[in-house]
Amino acid sequence: MSMKKTYWKGLDEKDQSPEFVQNSNKEFREDLSVDEFIGSEAIGDFQTGRRDFLKFLGFGVAAATLASCETPVIKSIPYVNKPEDVTPGVANWYASTFYDGNDYSNILVKAREGRPIWVKGNKDFGLTKGGITPRIGASVLNLYNSDRLRGPVKSGEPSEWSVVDAEVKGKLKDIAANGGKIRLMSNTVISPTTQKIMYDFLDSLAPVQRVARFDAITGQPMYDPETGEQLFDGIEMNESDVERVEYDATSYSAMRKANEESFGYRSLPTYDFSLARVVVSIDADFMANWLMHTKYNVDFAETRKPEKREDGEQWMSKHFHFESVMSLTGANADSRCPIKPSEQGAVAAAILKYVTGKDLGVAVSDEIDAYAAKAADKLKEHKGQSLVVAGANDKGIQLIVNEINHALNNYGTGKTIDLNKEIYLKNADDAKVEELVNDVVGGKVDALLIVGANPVYSLPNGDAFGEALANENMLSVSFSEFADETASKCTYICPDHNYLESWQDMSPSLGEYAIQQPVIRPLFDTRQMQETLLVWSGKAERADKESKTYYNYIREFSKKWFFPTSKDYSTFDEFWNWTVHNGSSINNTDIWTAEFKNPSLPAASSLKSSDAAWEVVAYQKSGIGEGQYTANPWLQELPDAITKVCWDNYVTMAPADCYDLFNITGNEKGKWDGLYIEQETPVNMVNVTVGEQVLKLPVYPLPGQARGTIGVALGYGRAENQEAIGSAAFQIKLDQTGDYDLDADGNKKPIGGNSYKFTSFVNGSIRYYADADVADANEKYFLACTQTHHTIMGRTSILRETNLESIISGHKDDYNPAHELHVHTKGHGEHVNATDVSLWDEHPVEFVGHRWGMSVDLTACNGCGVCIVACHSENNVPVVGKDEIRRARDLHWLRMDRYFSSIDDDARARWEKDKRAEGNDWSYANLEVPEDNPSVVFMPMMCHHCNHAPCETVCPVAATTHSNEGLNMMAYNRCIGTRYCGNNCPYKVRRFNWFNYRDYRKFKHVNNSQDEMARMVLNPDVTVRSRGVMEKCSFCVQRIQEGKLNAKAESRAVADGDVVTACADSCPNGAIVFGDWNDEESLVRSKTSGDRAYQALEEIGVKPNLWYQVKVRNVEEAAELAHVDTADEPHNEEH
Amino acid sequence: MHKESDIRIPLILGDKNYKDITDDVIRPIESKAPKGWYILISIFGIFALWGVGCIVYLLGTGVGVWGLNKTVEWAWDITNFVWWVGIGHAGTLISAVLLLFRQKWRMAINRASEAMTIFAVMMAGLFPLIHMGRLWVGYWVFPLPNQFGSMWVNVNSPLFWDVFAISTYFSVGMVFWYIGLIPDFATIRDRVTKPLAKRAYGILSFGWTGNAKAWNRFEIVSLVLAGLATPLVFSVHSIVSFDFATSVIPGWHTTIFPPYFVSGAVFSGFAMVQTLMLVLRKAFKLEAYLHTKHIEYMNIIILTTGSIVGVAYITELFISWYSGVEYEAYAFLNRATGPYWWSYAAMMTCNVVSPQLMWSKKLRTNLTFTFILAAVVNVGMWFERFVIIVTSIHRDYVPSAWSYFHPTWVDIGIYVGTLGIFFVLYLLFARYFPVLPIAELKTILKSSGENYKKGFGHGEGYYDSHIEKH
Repeated sequence: MSMKKTYWKGLDEKDQSPEFVQNSNKEFREDLSVDEFIGSEAIGDFQTGRRDFLKFLGFGVAAATLASCETPVIKSIPYVNKPEDVTPGVANWYASTFYDGNDYSNILVKAREGRPIWVKGNKDFGLTKGGITPRIGASVLNLYNSDRLRGPVKSGEPSEWSVVDAEVKGKLKDIAANGGKIRLMSNTVISPTTQKIMYDFLDSLAPVQRVARFDAITGQPMYDPETGEQLFDGIEMNESDVERVEYDATSYSAMRKANEESFGYRSLPTYDFSLARVVVSIDADFMANWLMHTKYNVDFAETRKPEKREDGEQWMSKHFHFESVMSLTGANADSRCPIKPSEQGAVAAAILKYVTGKDLGVAVSDEIDAYAAKAADKLKEHKGQSLVVAGANDKGIQLIVNEINHALNNYGTGKTIDLNKEIYLKNADDAKVEELVNDVVGGKVDALLIVGANPVYSLPNGDAFGEALANENMLSVSFSEFADETASKCTYICPDHNYLESWQDMSPSLGEYAIQQPVIRPLFDTRQMQETLLVWSGKAERADKESKTYYNYIREFSKKWFFPTSKDYSTFDEFWNWTVHNGSSINNTDIWTAEFKNPSLPAASSLKSSDAAWEVVAYQKSGIGEGQYTANPWLQELPDAITKVCWDNYVTMAPADCYDLFNITGNEKGKWDGLYIEQETPVNMVNVTVGEQVLKLPVYPLPGQARGTIGVALGYGRAENQEAIGSAAFQIKLDQTGDYDLDADGNKKPIGGNSYKFTSFVNGSIRYYADADVADANEKYFLACTQTHHTIMGRTSILRETNLESIISGHKDDYNPAHELHVHTKGHGEHVNATDVSLWDEHPVEFVGHRWGMSVDLTACNGCGVCIVACHSENNVPVVGKDEIRRARDLHWLRMDRYFSSIDDDARARWEKDKRAEGNDWSYANLEVPEDNPSVVFMPMMCHHCNHAPCETVCPVAATTHSNEGLNMMAYNRCIGTRYCGNNCPYKVRRFNWFNYRDYRKFKHVNNSQDEMARMVLNPDVTVRSRGVMEKCSFCVQRIQEGKLNAKAESRAVADGDVVTACADSCPNGAIVFGDWNDEESLVRSKTSGDRAYQALEEIGVKPNLWYQVKVRNVEEAAELAHVDTADEPHNEEH
Repeated sequence: MHKESDIRIPLILGDKNYKDITDDVIRPIESKAPKGWYILISIFGIFALWGVGCIVYLLGTGVGVWGLNKTVEWAWDITNFVWWVGIGHAGTLISAVLLLFRQKWRMAINRASEAMTIFAVMMAGLFPLIHMGRLWVGYWVFPLPNQFGSMWVNVNSPLFWDVFAISTYFSVGMVFWYIGLIPDFATIRDRVTKPLAKRAYGILSFGWTGNAKAWNRFEIVSLVLAGLATPLVFSVHSIVSFDFATSVIPGWHTTIFPPYFVSGAVFSGFAMVQTLMLVLRKAFKLEAYLHTKHIEYMNIIILTTGSIVGVAYITELFISWYSGVEYEAYAFLNRATGPYWWSYAAMMTCNVVSPQLMWSKKLRTNLTFTFILAAVVNVGMWFERFVIIVTSIHRDYVPSAWSYFHPTWVDIGIYVGTLGIFFVLYLLFARYFPVLPIAELKTILKSSGENYKKGFGHGEGYYDSHIEKH
C-alpha cells in the first residue's frame, strides 16, 4: 500500500471535476470586469496631457517631499525590568535627615523616576518638626552640581580607588609606625557609627589597640564627668600620636566651655522656645542660623499665635533682640536694640543687673540700658517661662547668660532649657582647633585627613593653612565632594557621596535617633567616607558603587545600641523599618541631673566694649550660611531676607553712617535718594580693613544697622583660586554674553569676599567680629536687588498690622476694618463695603465644586524664604542671574516682600485722620524713608487667583483664563506674549520669559536647565516654559490634579490636606495654608473667616482667592496704622 | 460805485491755470531728483536699516533685549505705537472729516497727509507685532477658524479691539488714498514718456479714462469712503485708549481717555503734517498752493486740540485729588514729582504751554516758528504717551514691585529705525507720487471770470466768491 496520502479541500477537488480544473488555473474565481472597463467608450475621454502630467508630477514630488518631513522623534526607553518601587509619573517620598555640620533637619525627599527633586521638612517625625531652611530646601540641586568629583583624585589627577586605597593605607601605616603625627579633622560628627568608625580607624593606626567607650544608651562616646576627657576601654595607647579634632566653621565652643563651668559638663542643652513667654536674644539668630535653629524656629512660632488657644488662654511671647546687623530673627523681634558687637557683654551684664541685682560694673549707653531694663522686667514677670540666649562665641557672655537663666529658674526638665537632654551639634573645641592649625602651619603634622570641613576657606588664617597642606611632606587626604579650597590642596581626594546618595545614622540630641537614607544610586564613582575609613582600617574590602558595607554596619550598630533602648518595637526589623520609614525614632533614656555650680563671672574689664570707630561683624545669611552652597544657583538667586540682594556679598551699613562716609547731604527725601539702589544706580564701595586683611565690597545701606558697625556675610569669596565648586560661584559679566567676569590675570572673579578672614582666635575661641577700618574706595558697583523700594507708603489696604492688645481687647473694626467705599445712591452718599460694589456678576465658584484658596498669616510668616526655594524647585522656575535681577526681571513666582516702617508712618496716620478731611498736605516724600531702627514686615506675595482677574480680561488670545475651581490658569502654549496681563496685575506677580533661559548664552553659567546634570532636578510634572510667554504662580496646579486624581482613584471626596501647594507644604511655621475654600470644614476656610483675615487691595474688586491675616506684634504702643479708617473719603461731605 | 470787499485770500495764489497746476505737481516726478533727496534718503535709509537690524536682533533673542522689566512691561514699544497711531490721525481727519465739512483748503495737504497716515500707521502696526513675546504665533489674535478645539480670541480684550481698529483704519485709509490718486496717476501716465514709467503709472491708474461716468463714480466713492472713514477717526484712538482705560492701574484707569486721546492724536497728527508740509512746500516750490493761510488754519487746529489736551491733563490731576482714591492720587503726584518728573515736565511744557503761543497771529503765521513748534509738539506727544504708560505702571499698587525703566540701545534703535523707514517711504512718495491732488485742486482754481475781473484793476485783492458761495 502506498504511503502517500492525498488531502483535498472539498469534493470538487477530490473529484477533479472539469469545472474545478478550469477554475483552479484562474487567479479569480469570477470574471473581473476588466474587459468591460477597458472596452468602455468613456475611457477614451480621459486623457493625460503633457500639462496634466507635469501637474501630477509636480504634485507627486511636492506631496512626497512634504510627507517625508516629520517632527524629530525623541525616543524614551522603557524599563526592561521595572523597579518594584518606581512607577513612572508617581512620586516616591523618602524620609531622611539633613546634616552638613551646620544645619540639622528631619526631611522628606520627593523622588521622581529615581531622581530626588524636592525636599521639605518632616512635620510628623523627628526633632525639627518640619523646620528647614532655604539651604536645606535647595540642597537637592547640590547633588546635580556637575563640578562634583567623579572619582578619587591623586595630586590633582583622576585616579582609581584601588590605587588611592593602597597608597594612603601604606603611607598612613608608615607614618604611624614612625610615631608620626596623624590628625583626622572633621566637622562635628553626630553619627554614632561614624564616630565609631573614626575611632576604630585611628586605633588601627596606633600600635596599641584602644577602644573608645560608648554610652550604652546613646551610642555617643563617653567623657569623664570630672575632667571632661574622653574615656577609652582597653589599653591606653602611648606611642603613636593619632588624634581626632572636630572643627566647626561657625563655632559654639565657648558656649560648651561656659556650660562646663556652670554645670560641670561640656554640653549644649536642649532649648524649648515653645515654652518661653519672653525671649531675649543677644545676637542669637535662632530662627535662621543659631544652633538647632530648624527646631527653634518652629517652636518659637508656637508662641506667636495671637488667637485664643485650646486651653482658653490668649497670649503671645514677647521677643527682645539685641544685635548689630539686622538678622531674620531681629527683623521679627517685638523690640530690637541695635548694639555694637563688642557691647554684647555689656548688654548681658545689664540684663543680669536688672534681673538679679548683681552689678558687674560694666557701663552701657542709656539707650541700651533702657532696652535691657524693659527686657529684664518682662523676664522677671515670666520666671521659669522665659529664655535668654546669646550668640557670642565668648565664654564670659555665655556664663552671664547662664547665670541669668538660672536666676530666672529656666533650667530643668519641662522648662525652656533642658540641660539633661543635651544636643550633639557643634561640638568643636576651638582651642584644640587652634592647636591643630598651629601644628599644621608649623609643619608638625605628618598626615591630615579632612572630613566635611573646608578649613582653608573658613579659618582666619586659611591661606597659611592651605600652604601647609600643599606641602608634599605631609600626607593630606580630603573627603570632599568637590575639589574645593581645601581638597584641591590635598594630595588625595576620596570624594564622599552626596547626602542624598548616602546611608547614615544620626544622633542630634539625647534620645533622638535619625536615619539618612539614599534616594538615588551614587551618580559618580564616589565612596562614602565611612566605607573608605572602614577599608583603610582593614575592616572591610573595597566594593563597588552598590556596596552595602556601611549600610550593614549601621544596621548592626543600631541593633546593638539603639534597638534595645526602644520600647516601641518588638523586633529589630520592625524597629529598623519604621525608623527608616519615619526617618527617626525616639529612644528612652535615663536622665542625669545637672547642678548649677555658680561659677565666677567675668571681670568687667573683659566685657568692655571696643572704642574703635568701626566694628565689623561676620554673620551668616539664611541663604548662603557658612559657604557650603555658594555655588548653588537657587540660593544665590534667593533674595536675602532683609536686604533683598541676590548674587552678592556686601557691607551692611547704617544709612546715617553712609551719609557721613560718602558725604551725602540733602533734605529728608533727598537723604534716602542718595542711598537708592537700582538698575543704573550703583552703590559705593568701601575698603574694609581688619589687621592686614582687606576686603573691597559694595555698601548696602541697611536701616536698623547699629551705628559704627558694618556687617559682612560669611560664605562668599569662595574659589578664589579657581577651584571647581560649581559654575554659579563666580561673577558673571553684566551684559548679554553671560561670560565670567575675569580679572586682569584672566581668572574668574569669585562673588564677594571671604569674611572669615575677619575672624580670629581670641582666648581659645573663634570670634566673629573685629575692630575695623572702613574707607571709601571711590568706586561704584552694581548690586542686584529684587526690591528697590522699602516702605509700604502707609497703604493699609495692602498691609495691616496691629498689636496683641488690640487683638485681645479690641474689636475687629479697630485693627482690621472692612474696606468701605463712598458711593452715591438715590441722591445721597453712603458707605458700602468694597466687596459689595461690583460691575461684574459673581464668579460662579462659590459653593460649587472646589474653590482653591490660600491663607497667609503675616504673624506666623517670618520671611525665611523656604517657600521661595520650594516654589523655585517645584515649578522649575528659571534662574536668571545677577544682571537680569538687577534689571528687575526676577522670575520668582512667589516673592517675599519686606517692608521697613517709615519715618513718617505716624504723620501719615495723623494725616489720614485729620488732614485728609481738610484736604491738604499730600506729602508722600517722607513715607519713602525707612526709620533708623525700623520694624519689619514680611509679606509673601504670589498670584492671588482673582475671581475677577484683571489679567484674564485683557489677554487677546484668552491664554489666561479662569477655571471653575477658582484658579487663574495660564496656558503657556497659547500665550503670544503681549504682557498686557502683567501690566494689569495689581499685585505685579506675573513673570515674563524675556529670553530662552534654557539655551541663551547669557544664562549658561547660572541656569540649571542649561546643564545636563542639573537639568535632572527639574520637576517632570511642570513644563519648562519657552521664551516669550508669561508665567506665574499656579497654586501648584499639578499638585491639585494629583490630589484630585488620588481621591478619585480611592473613590472619595478630596479631603482637606490632600492638596497642598509647595510653599504651604514647605513652610515650617504653617504661615501658608491651602485648601478647598468651599469645604466648610477646611482649615483655609476657618482661617479666612477669622477676625484677622483680610484681602489685599480689596477695594479694586478683583475678589482674590488669597487672604492675608493681620500681622500682630506683641508691642505696647497701639499700632496707629491699624486704626486708620481706610474709607476712601476725601472730604467730610454732607450729602 | 461798485465795491467788492475782500472776503478771503484765495486758496491758490498766483496766476495759475489748469496746466500750471499739472506742471507744478508733476514736475518733481518728471525731472531728476535733486541731490538733497539722495542725501536724505541715504541718511534715513541707514536709520531704517539700523532699525531693521535691531528688530532682527530682538526677534532672534527675545524681548529681554529691551529695557522692560517685571513692573514696566510696556514702555517704548507701546509709547511708539500710540505715538505713531496718533500721527496717523491727521490724514484721515483732513481727507474725510474736512471733506464732509467742505473745507476746501484741505486740498493743499490731504494727499501728503494721507500718505503720512498710511506710513505712520504702518510704523504703528509694527510695534504691537514686535512687542509680542512670540511673534510667530501672533496670528492667533485673529478670529481664525482652527482645528485646536475651542481656541478662540478673547473679545473682551482691548488688544483684540485694537487689531480690528488698526487694521480697519489702515485698509480704509489706504483705499481712500489710493482712489484719490487714480485720476492723478492717469494724468502722469498721459504725460510721461519713458516706457517703464508709463507702464507703471498705467497700472497704477487702473485704466482711468476720465469720462463723465468715471468722474461721477469717483465722486460717489470718495464721499462714501469719507463717510466710512469719519467714524474711524474717532474710533481708532478711542480704542487705543481703551488699552489703558479698561485696566485697573491708577493712571490708566481713566474714563476721560477716549476724547483726550483723540484730540491728542489730532494734535500730534497736525504737528507732523506741518513738519512734513513745510519741507515739501519749500523743496517742491509749492508756495502758491500751500500758503500762510493753510499753515495758520492748521495752527489753529493745533491750538484747539492742544488746549483740549491741556484741559484733560488738568482734569486728570483734579480728579485724582477729588476722587480721594489713594492710589490714583499717588499715581498723579508721582507723575509730577516722582522719579519721572522730567518726562511730565517735558509733556506739560511741550503740549500745554507751547501751543498757547499760537494765540498770537504773528507767531501762528510765522513759518519758522511753526516748524519748530510742530517738532516740539511731536516731542511732547511722545512724552505724553511715555508718561501715561511708564510712570503709571512703574509705581502702581504694591511698593515692593516698584521699579524704574531704562531703555536699551535696542529700544532706541527700533524707534529711530521706524523714523527712518517712515521718512524713506515718505521720500519715495514725494518723488514718485503726486504730492498734491491735481484733479481736486483744479476744482478750486479761480474761473476765467476772476481773471476777467482782475483785468478791471482790483489790484492785489483776490477773492474767490464764486467757489466759496457754493
